[in-house]
Amino acid sequence: MTHSNKEINRLTPTNEDTVGPYYPPSLCENNSMDMTSIRSGIVFKPLGEKITIKGCVKDIDGKLSNGCLLEFWQPNSQGVYYRADTESHEMVDPWFTGYTRHRTKDGNFSLTTIKPGTADGRAPNITVTIFSDGIMRVVTQLFFADEKSNRDDPLLLSIPEELRERLMINKISDHKYEIEIIMAGKNETPFFDDLLS
Amino acid sequence: MTKYGRQLGIGPTDNTSNERTPRNKLNLIPEAARKSFVPYAPGIHGINLAEADMTRIAPGRPRASGEAIKVSGKLMDEYGRPIKNALIEIWNANQHGGYTHDEDHSGLPIDQNFLGIGRTLSNSDGNYEFWTIKPGAYLARPDIGRWRPPHIHVSIIGGSSRLISQMYFPNDPHNDKDPMRILMGDNFKANIGKKYNVTANDFDCGYNFDIIIGGKNPTFFENDIT
Repeated sequence: MTHSNKEINRLTPTNEDTVGPYYPPSLCENNSMDMTSIRSGIVFKPLGEKITIKGCVKDIDGKLSNGCLLEFWQPNSQGVYYRADTESHEMVDPWFTGYTRHRTKDGNFSLTTIKPGTADGRAPNITVTIFSDGIMRVVTQLFFADEKSNRDDPLLLSIPEELRERLMINKISDHKYEIEIIMAGKNETPFFDDLLS
Repeated sequence: MTKYGRQLGIGPTDNTSNERTPRNKLNLIPEAARKSFVPYAPGIHGINLAEADMTRIAPGRPRASGEAIKVSGKLMDEYGRPIKNALIEIWNANQHGGYTHDEDHSGLPIDQNFLGIGRTLSNSDGNYEFWTIKPGAYLARPDIGRWRPPHIHVSIIGGSSRLISQMYFPNDPHNDKDPMRILMGDNFKANIGKKYNVTANDFDCGYNFDIIIGGKNPTFFENDIT
């Protein structure tokens, strides 16, 4: 089959659309911004360093972007993602799924998680999906500024050097980090295209 | 060397879109990093079947006012393969265009019998159905007289699929001035429900809305079609 036939045989995808301002917060109420505690009331905890990342999403004027739906996923401290192709992997951490979502009312968020390990030749990172009023879904990955492996990461190397620092989560004290995501304009966060890629 | 993907468009006359749409082109993801972008939400979908009937807040309570409609269709990837057991979240305005969301300050009437929030799952063939009240249009920008056409929000989470979209209604006079609809161009037809007759006598009509999730994500961990 030729490439062009393959194109013709595909169905036309439904267009993505904006989430709008009224995504019901109750739909995420089973999700917690503490990924280290997926089950309450048990003594087991996930392996690795527990960290808290305080962040915010800002618009072109530097104002907080209210009402964004944020989704995060990452590998565990051993660098293994929990997903369809790894469910029986021996290094899957049963106490850590590495996925959560949250609707931020005012544009700020605080994510408690385990510092991700190195997966598949990648520097430690957390994937973030942002749904917001006025835009279609955008995705990016956030890295840790103090990681030496950043210099060899294929995603960081794929963008101009001067933009890489915009994807860095900065350490502010032991186990505490911060990040500012800027949707548009000056110091705009680099976003990636997972529909065309 | 950087390779670029889409340039996201700014919805005309939409203030939030202007403030939040990235101005730079999206970056293509290099192959060595592609897999890590495939979303995977753990299967945590414990839902009550009654959540698919949004025409009542709970079974046995009064029917919400307005036109009761059925919406049904099939969830698929670009190759027509069904997306099974996916969580479909639905939210829509009442017949007056008002939401029950506590941040809706429009002052439009609230129907005490309409929550406007529902959930359902696609079955093993990818088919889904839910019932709701046809939403009203509402004046989104009183300063320039721009309306939002009637629309139903849908969010799909299933395996490695992720989509948030809206279903619009055929031939609505407000459709063509909607900012996001303008960005969709001719492909807007993919987001319009197709009307059909429902034989059950307590529903006015149905809309068929097949949802096709594009890109590599939906079937990334299944066999590639080459």
